[in-house]
Amino acid sequence: MKRKASFFVILILSLSPFLGAVAFAQVQVRVRVVEASNVGSGFDSSLRDLHDQLGSLFSFSSYRLLKDESVSLPSNQPVSLSIPPERSLELTLMKQHRVTAEIRVKITRQGRELLTTLVRLAPGRSVSIGGPKRGEGTIIVALSRP
Amino acid sequence: MKSECSSVSKLLDKYFDQEVTPEERSLVEGHLPDCPACRMALDSMQNLRILIKSPVEEAVEKETFPWVWEKIEKGIQRKERLGLWDFLKSWLDVTPLLKRKILIPAVAAAVILILITAPLLFKKTTSYPSLSVVEYVESETYNVMVYELETPQVTVIWLFEGPEEELSTS
Repeated sequence: MKRKASFFVILILSLSPFLGAVAFAQVQVRVRVVEASNVGSGFDSSLRDLHDQLGSLFSFSSYRLLKDESVSLPSNQPVSLSIPPERSLELTLMKQHRVTAEIRVKITRQGRELLTTLVRLAPGRSVSIGGPKRGEGTIIVALSRP
Repeated sequence: MKSECSSVSKLLDKYFDQEVTPEERSLVEGHLPDCPACRMALDSMQNLRILIKSPVEEAVEKETFPWVWEKIEKGIQRKERLGLWDFLKSWLDVTPLLKRKILIPAVAAAVILILITAPLLFKKTTSYPSLSVVEYVESETYNVMVYELETPQVTVIWLFEGPEEELSTS
């Protein structure tokens, strides 16, 4: 009887990684929309990490936080949120490999697809999508996983 | 005579069981015709043997021991109807010699399996992003450039607007 019980325990333990892969949890993604410009200087303290990352590539003097939102992505269900200027950001969790999540990112304007990309996000890693102009600034959408 | 009778009577059991030496046999057989007491003792031994032996022999001859065969057959059938768990149990309950024979290859196989799977199981998750964070980018509107730096870990998708897009956003 004991041996039978231990057999099932071993069976369940050996299958648990597969079961975990099948029933994975939702993925939290932080979306920050920032207006970067060379007008003025300074940045919000919550944008320090972004400033450090982008500072090696761009020389913006000012970073202004326009939107900071955390979204929970269920598997294969798109989650949309509006981002300036008049655009829509759609995030879909496509796959999850251990801790790395594959997320499809779509930026649309009035239903028209402007950009589609597939990114792999691990916790602590971020991806920034930037370029669209807004006045004298440039819009940067930073996606990161807490 | 009395002393001879007493020594012969001690030999009667052996004589009856035909375990006496030729000298003892001649001594007993020389004494018996003259001694009714010893003859009587020998006769009672003979009668006792007949009394015990014949019913036992008769019972053994008649008995076919069917219950023994039934028991054996049931045992064989039980062995043939082994369930999955009994099969595994019987497979695991091997002799110590066989256990050793199985144990060594099993341990070797387990070690090989661990060596193969360990790098996959314990691979640092950062190794996945190190391949490429951006799998693909598609845009009909923008010219796209992807910047990926490992130190510091920076991934930027930069969109270069065309004249049409710039007009529409302004």
